[in-house]
Amino acid sequence: MKIAAEGVGWQVGGTTIVDGVTFDVSPGEMFGLVGPNGSGKSTLLKMLAGIRPPSAGRIALADAPLETLSRRRIAQTVAFVEQFADTVDRITVRDAVELGRTPWLSALAPWSARDEAAVSDALASVDMTRFAARSWHTLSGGERQRVHIARALAQHPAILVLDEPTNHLDIHHQLSILTLIRRLRVTTIVALHDLNQAMNCDRVGIMDQGRLVAVGTPHEVLTADRIEATFAIRTTICIDPSDGTRLLRFHNAT
Amino acid sequence: MNKAWHWGWIAPPVLLVALVAGASIGETAIPAQTVLSVLANKLFGTAIPVDRIDAGIIWNYRLSRALIAACCGAGLALSGVVLQALLRNALADPYLLGISAGASTGAVAVTVAGLGGGLVSLSAGAFVGACAAFVLVVALAQAAGGGTGARAAGVIILAGIAGSQLFNALTAFVIAKSANAEQARGIMFWLLGNLSGVRWPDAWLAVPAAVLALTVCVLHIRALDAFTFGSDSAASLGIAVRRCQAVLIGVTALVTAVMVSLVGSIGFVGLVIPHAMRFLVGVRHGRLIPASALAGAVFLIASDIISRIVIPGQVLPIGVITALIGAPAFALILVRGRSGR
Ligand SMILES: Nc1ncnc2c1ncn2[C@@H]1O[C@H](COP(=O)(O)OP(=O)(O)OP(=O)(O)O)[C@@H](O)[C@H]1O
Ligand SMILES: [Mg+2]
Repeated sequence: MKIAAEGVGWQVGGTTIVDGVTFDVSPGEMFGLVGPNGSGKSTLLKMLAGIRPPSAGRIALADAPLETLSRRRIAQTVAFVEQFADTVDRITVRDAVELGRTPWLSALAPWSARDEAAVSDALASVDMTRFAARSWHTLSGGERQRVHIARALAQHPAILVLDEPTNHLDIHHQLSILTLIRRLRVTTIVALHDLNQAMNCDRVGIMDQGRLVAVGTPHEVLTADRIEATFAIRTTICIDPSDGTRLLRFHNAT
Repeated sequence: MNKAWHWGWIAPPVLLVALVAGASIGETAIPAQTVLSVLANKLFGTAIPVDRIDAGIIWNYRLSRALIAACCGAGLALSGVVLQALLRNALADPYLLGISAGASTGAVAVTVAGLGGGLVSLSAGAFVGACAAFVLVVALAQAAGGGTGARAAGVIILAGIAGSQLFNALTAFVIAKSANAEQARGIMFWLLGNLSGVRWPDAWLAVPAAVLALTVCVLHIRALDAFTFGSDSAASLGIAVRRCQAVLIGVTALVTAVMVSLVGSIGFVGLVIPHAMRFLVGVRHGRLIPASALAGAVFLIASDIISRIVIPGQVLPIGVITALIGAPAFALILVRGRSGR
């Protein structure tokens, strides 16, 4: 499903946190969002997920303005994985993933085998099946992150919004989660800090001080000049001799 | 999940046994058989012969009292579950939002300061006070702002503390200014919870209030679960966070106000029963809601029985009993829960 933002902004107490962001993501596309700490990525993603109403501009899901849709309808379309989300409740891993089915359940549509299957599939796809009965508070940071992703997958979304999903993951699971998301072929918007991971997205947007300063394919956008302007580091672009992929190598700006 | 319907089978017999026990145990013990006969006579129009005095004690005093205890226990436990889930705070209890403080101010305004000129009952005064305090606390929380996130929950809790302190101070002021020793003792008893004065008309308030609390909670089982990872996460799962918070907090506050105005502020039930039930049946609200309602009801009936028989010839305030039994029981659950999971 397509998602579009037009002039989206968010202000708090007179400070502009996100300013005039306009872009759209086409169905099935994987859109990477990069930018320094505090550049407004998380804030933008929360607005796209419908959790925080923008103070300016508008967001549309498949041409329907977000504010005309019910919360439940939005949640049936968009799943969101927060940057930090923790609980002190003694829930199990499976309980946490079952929460993902919430938007699909009602008095008329009670818990069914279909929901059970969605939860099991989601657990399997993040490689957490054997943890299903484990208590949440016994999990490591990366395992928690994978459970959150499983919860989002169990939601069966058409659009997946992920805020630094690979944050706590070991390199194996970073790659497998990103590969999994690519293979799902759902529309994905993902905030990333690793620019080399962003190189694998279909398109990349760079956030800087609340503005979306560049949008395009990784090759167009993640240039040495652009990266230096935004992140204040120098970049060498290297080519992997095995398959010709471009890699970024970073140095302190002098 | 979705084992909620099991409770439909477990709860009624357990509750019935507790009610019958509440009616038969007392200073004069009355056999359970007599209690059941009176129940049958009253409810199903049978004509089983029973002693008139026994029948009077059972029907007019003990049954209404046990029923109201059950309703209060269920209502307070559910309020505790809801506030702890929505505010994401383990220390939240039904009185957090100023309700018991407001009720006490209303009660002393009527009984000590003579507000209403004798036309207003203590209960009515307490109810008005409770509602006034709640409205003030909510208005304060709104004015302090903070949206729906973790900060907002903190703001609500702080507003509740401020409101409670204010109304407690007002109560103390009224008592210090104009109460005599006898009145002060009476108020203290009432504040600790007192079921002695309740009769059938009170049950017609307590029963609908408890049913309302249970119905609203059951309708919001999934929404309450969705708050596990906070309100942003609940929103992303399709919960209309603000509407849901308003309905749940509003209803539980109303129910708590009704209970407090009938029987005073019985402590401990609303804080501890939800935690105890989390240890026993888990944190998912499909099980937690019915378990807490049932446990709260049975716990208060039992506490009431103990408060009537522990010192012969004297009735202790029920709040003393709930704390005396509840605190060690809770400690035990905590310690066992630690090693268990
Ligand atoms: N409620 C708020 N009140 C004040 N400032 C806020 C609020 N929410 C966010 N900010 C500020 O807005 C800026 C953007 O925050 P945001 O979380 O969107 O950044 P980010 O790009 O996700 O950063 P990171 O890479 O560290 O996750 C930060 O400077 C933050 O301090
Ligand atoms: Mg962020």
